[in-house]
Amino acid sequence: MISREEVLKLAELARIKVGEGEIARLQKDISDILEYVETVSTVKIPNSLTERDGVPPLRNVMREDTPRSTGDPLSGKEDALRAAFPKKENGYNVVRKIIQKDE
Amino acid sequence: MSNLNELSITDAAKKLQTGEITAVDLARACLEEIEKERPAGKCDRLNAFLEVFDDVIAQAEEADKRRTAGENHPLLGIPLAIKDNILIEGRRASAASKMLENYVATYDATVIKKLKEAGAVFLGRTNMDEFALGSSTENSAFGVTKNPHDESRVPGGSSGGSAAAVAAHMALGALGTDTGGSIREPASFCGVVGLKPTYGAVSRFGLIAMGSSLDQAGPLTRSVEDAELLFTVIRGRDTLDSTTVDETFYKKRSGGRRIGVPRRLLESGLETDVIQKFEKSLDVMRSKGYEIIDVELPLADLALAVYYIIMQAEVSSNLARFDGVRYGLSLKGESLIDDYAKTRGEGFGHEARRRIMLGTYVLSSGYYDAYFGKATVAREALRREVAGVLEQVEVIATPTTTSPATKLGEKTDNPLSMYLLDILTVTANLTGNPAISLPMGTVERDGTQLPVGLQFTAAHGDENALFAAGRAVE
Repeated sequence: MISREEVLKLAELARIKVGEGEIARLQKDISDILEYVETVSTVKIPNSLTERDGVPPLRNVMREDTPRSTGDPLSGKEDALRAAFPKKENGYNVVRKIIQKDE
Repeated sequence: MSNLNELSITDAAKKLQTGEITAVDLARACLEEIEKERPAGKCDRLNAFLEVFDDVIAQAEEADKRRTAGENHPLLGIPLAIKDNILIEGRRASAASKMLENYVATYDATVIKKLKEAGAVFLGRTNMDEFALGSSTENSAFGVTKNPHDESRVPGGSSGGSAAAVAAHMALGALGTDTGGSIREPASFCGVVGLKPTYGAVSRFGLIAMGSSLDQAGPLTRSVEDAELLFTVIRGRDTLDSTTVDETFYKKRSGGRRIGVPRRLLESGLETDVIQKFEKSLDVMRSKGYEIIDVELPLADLALAVYYIIMQAEVSSNLARFDGVRYGLSLKGESLIDDYAKTRGEGFGHEARRRIMLGTYVLSSGYYDAYFGKATVAREALRREVAGVLEQVEVIATPTTTSPATKLGEKTDNPLSMYLLDILTVTANLTGNPAISLPMGTVERDGTQLPVGLQFTAAHGDENALFAAGRAVE
């Protein structure tokens, strides 16, 4: 079973605050699910397949980095996007200062 | 005329086109059904809807006007229910989460844009498992949806509200999304038709993402013909979703009549009367000229484990965007990192928090190769295996679920037992193949007849094979 410390570490990595009361349940549930999904290690991968084959056949779809043009579903939606800001001032999204001055 | 809300979309379209009924008549009939025996504080008796729009009649009037002006699309004036993770401009889209409880969509999803162009009427947004994470709609932050066939049972999930609304004749059809069975499993539990199209057939622009290599939007309807009609309208390449392809991308197939049954996969875990219903459906297919062949899918046993690694990894990435900075719930803590943790700790429900943490685990350094790396190779092996089988047959047939709808609360304490509900549906998401669930009769539990679904899976781009087989057995 994964430890209490591991659960807290995962919560920190995932940026999720977990309550003291749910840690034990998370330890059990996460361990049960990990034990189940570990069965993938028993998959017999055909010799013809390599790690590379796990990467889907991707291709880049590029576009010019230009403003949204008229007719684009996101053009002219600036006000609606601003309206969704949790805290706003003069049309700007107010966020917490992240760089602190050394004292 | 009464019970207009019980019409199929295609029948209603005919009546609208001949002028026998109006879109307003249809909308009224649906609204009456929605409001029937409605408890205080809820939209309907099943909690299928999270919101019924206040302009439904106005939308229907607009559709009638468009018809008078000469428009004649089969979806013009057809009332539909929309899953709460699909954006409609100016309306709330909460994904049944506290995180987005008050979020108002700033634009239309491409599927919505297409439906608006056709003239469909949107009745409201339907309940679901939070962020589509679940198989029973019990993970909604706004209460569970009840199964219309037995209100002590779940409707399935995550598109449980959409399936229940269609089964209970509150809407003529609905849109859902399917990441591991979220359209087909509730369709099976509620006795309706549910289609998960080929990966890339339908644009996901404007859908709240869950697992981006797995997600597809699709219809829930009361007939195969209706599912085909809705699919035809919402499909197509979209420059705003670079994973979409057009109809000509996959080569056309012959349209033969061979059905493969992976017998060994069905040997364990399925309830006896579900198998009996399945065999009966196969007999019907035989009588319609289909040839039934045994096929082998040895890797399908492991599909669920592969799915739960890949899906959780993708969930942890997709849900990272909900941090309280640009929209949605925003809570203040002692520091920036504490703001994030507090917002996400309180905004996400238990299932979402656990899946994000598990996804974080399988992607973390030291575990990546053992879990995610291994799962992606296994996924490719599975894709090849299914493709090989679909060279011998047009469709693969299985039951959609191992059992009929389970009791409310029956599986909420044991996430693994809940996950096992998806064992027959996840393969199509991992491989990108299209799959459909349609009713194959009922089985009795505690004196109540409960529907069970038949699932067909076809080659990429070959939804036509699903519709043909579906019509044969319907």
